[in-house]
Amino acid sequence: MIRFVLTRLLLLAVGLLVASALIFFTLRILPGDVAQVIAGTQSTPEQVAAIRLSLGLDRPILVQYGDWLGGLLRGDLGSSLITSSSVADELAEKAQVTVPLAVFSLVIALLFSVPLGILAAVRRRRVSGTVVSFVSQGLAAVPAVWAGLVLIAIFAVWLGWLPPQGFPLDGWEEPGRALQSLVLPSLTIGIIEGAVLLRFIRSAAVEASGEDYVRTAAATGMTRTRALITQGMPNVALSVVSVLGLQVAGLIVGAIIIEQLFSLPGIGRMLVSDVGNRDLTKVQGELLALTAIVLVIGTVVDIVHRLLDPRQRETA
Amino acid sequence: MRSPRILAAAGTVAAAALVLTACTPGGGSSESGSPDADATVNVGLVLEPTDLDIRTTDGIALDQVLIDNVYEGLVSRTAAGEIVDTIAKSHEVSDDGLTYTFDLNDGVTFQNGDEVTADDVVWSISQVKDDEGMQGHTDLANVTSITATDDDTVTLALSAPDSNLLWNLAGRAGLVLDEAATNDLSTTAVGTGPYTLKSWKQGDSLTLERNDDYWGEKARVKSVVFRYITDANAGINAMLAGDLDVQTAVDANLATQFDGNADIEIARGKTTDKYTLAFNNKVAPLNDMRVRQAIRMAIDHAAVVKAVGGAAVEQGGPIPELDPGYEDLTDVAPYDPTKAKELLAEAGQSNLTLDLTIPSFYGTSVATLLVSELEKVGITLNVKSVEFATWLNDVYTNKDFQLSYVDHAESRDFGNWANPDYYFGFDNADVQRLYQESVAAADPETAAAKLKEAARIVSEQAGADWLYNAVTLTAVRQGVTGFPTDSTSTRLDLGELAVQE
Repeated sequence: MIRFVLTRLLLLAVGLLVASALIFFTLRILPGDVAQVIAGTQSTPEQVAAIRLSLGLDRPILVQYGDWLGGLLRGDLGSSLITSSSVADELAEKAQVTVPLAVFSLVIALLFSVPLGILAAVRRRRVSGTVVSFVSQGLAAVPAVWAGLVLIAIFAVWLGWLPPQGFPLDGWEEPGRALQSLVLPSLTIGIIEGAVLLRFIRSAAVEASGEDYVRTAAATGMTRTRALITQGMPNVALSVVSVLGLQVAGLIVGAIIIEQLFSLPGIGRMLVSDVGNRDLTKVQGELLALTAIVLVIGTVVDIVHRLLDPRQRETA
Repeated sequence: MRSPRILAAAGTVAAAALVLTACTPGGGSSESGSPDADATVNVGLVLEPTDLDIRTTDGIALDQVLIDNVYEGLVSRTAAGEIVDTIAKSHEVSDDGLTYTFDLNDGVTFQNGDEVTADDVVWSISQVKDDEGMQGHTDLANVTSITATDDDTVTLALSAPDSNLLWNLAGRAGLVLDEAATNDLSTTAVGTGPYTLKSWKQGDSLTLERNDDYWGEKARVKSVVFRYITDANAGINAMLAGDLDVQTAVDANLATQFDGNADIEIARGKTTDKYTLAFNNKVAPLNDMRVRQAIRMAIDHAAVVKAVGGAAVEQGGPIPELDPGYEDLTDVAPYDPTKAKELLAEAGQSNLTLDLTIPSFYGTSVATLLVSELEKVGITLNVKSVEFATWLNDVYTNKDFQLSYVDHAESRDFGNWANPDYYFGFDNADVQRLYQESVAAADPETAAAKLKEAARIVSEQAGADWLYNAVTLTAVRQGVTGFPTDSTSTRLDLGELAVQE
């Protein structure tokens, strides 16, 4: 087991190194540069060149990568090319919006996908099960922006229960208001991610209900549903945990879109604006941090999976 | 001394009155109650500055919020385009136009408590003059010396007359900063204005607070929060939900959502936003004037105005109505698809295919219209929607484009047509000569007349097509007064902003 964990951690480190190179060099392919953005539309080529020089953008690209990597190894994500503010500080500030948004979305997704997924599996030959499957199929295909607009129209504009956009100026100082402003965005992501999750849970549960051990349990006098829940659930949980690892990437993409739609000052909105301004050191830091989150969660999921699954534990 | 702010206020009130009578037939809303000195006004803006460094970072999003509110110059511009004294008590221009003398107001202080001295003024302007990396540097090209003749007087000497100088000094080039201040200009600001910069939460908001020690007439509200909302629908929803008191640059196609809302007035304001379909005048086939004229005549500008929800006026030349040298040039290239086809045939162009590079944030409605308009005269238009940074690289810097579509929002930017190295690639000796004559003119009337002549040539030569001059819509909640409604994307002087209790 320890060897397994160490191998996973080594793979994680290699993954991060490869990601840093991929992020750094693919960003350099983007046309346009930050010096032009700073100098703007009334500038001369000389002004742009002077800014490039002062930002150190004239140095060889490998030297720039080496500098960045060196900083990363010392735990320094770098600083903005435009405002010189620390990328780590900015990420920490914007994470106060994005992390709660992602967590709430995930909780909402799980809250309705687990029970409904099982329901859809158990009643798959009845109308209620078919309706759940059908609706989830539809919801999974809905674009996040459209879902958000519908929710805004109903709950913010028509009923006036929740704010249509924005996050309180003083952040979490007033937790009630901050929470309120995250309800609709979290619902938007949660419903769509949940619909995807629901389909996984349904098929895992359908599969489990056909297994011998569930049939055997049913033969002892349990109802089929009870047999599925008591005996089949550990297996369903396993597949849910694996899928959750993948869902994290979906949550991040969802947050980028939804933060735009709801004007939330989170990591997603910052990333879009930094890409637009070609503030590449910031974009690098942000992307690497997001990649690290996905990779770390993936590693944790792998290890948890191993712990949950006795079959894998034994072969380890 | 005539107070500059009062003059500006008179204009704003007049504009507001016009708006009110236009929007509420049967009598405008009467303003009752006294101003609420503790009010906070939430204002929705679209474009956020990338950085607050007023010295090095370009972008009107920065001028929009900081100039006149936090930073002030010797002189300022009113919404009507007039020059008024601000830190200067008065100014005098010598008869030969080569010496500008500014008499400074007494008791002007920076927001950190330091007194403004003639030396601060000299240092501020010299900085821009001496450092080519600074915004506004080229605006001072004719200035040869900046000196403090005594404690209250600053004198600028010029190598040649410059009719743009006062206007330029009312922009970045003339701002007065504190020589002794050591604050980080990227994220903070120390000026002399009626508001201090309280905070900037990048990606979200910028907050101004009343400067209680302001040397002039103090601001009437306690604070102003600018909230940056890029999504047009989100801005309208925020206004409807009461999260905003003012929303600038309302999308005209969505403005009907305010219909029937007695609490919100929509003001229509003039702008210098020239939505320009630029031609690369240097490359074939657009170096052929007939092709450029054909494109202009193939476009139904009334349809363009309709496509943007009617929040626009047709513009036939490079100078908008608010700028000196304006004349109605819409008859130079009237809508005439048949004539356009003839011109293309004369130029030997059949089955012409052209690329249009457009920054993605402008949306697709106008581009789609252009595709169908040009198709009718046999031109296939490929629309390349790109990020603005890519546009800056490909079009502005490398001039690798055929047609481009951006909003040239800056006022008095005709000089771009006299600069053959600008991305337009427009090179006309008469235009360059007239522009130089306009700059060198001793009086504003002559300067404007020369510009007018030059603008006509640019239009007749079809240097570009001006799709429209935007009308800007501002949604204002009842009780909020004194919010500027003209050219809101370039300047927002909030000296008169008030909220009635």
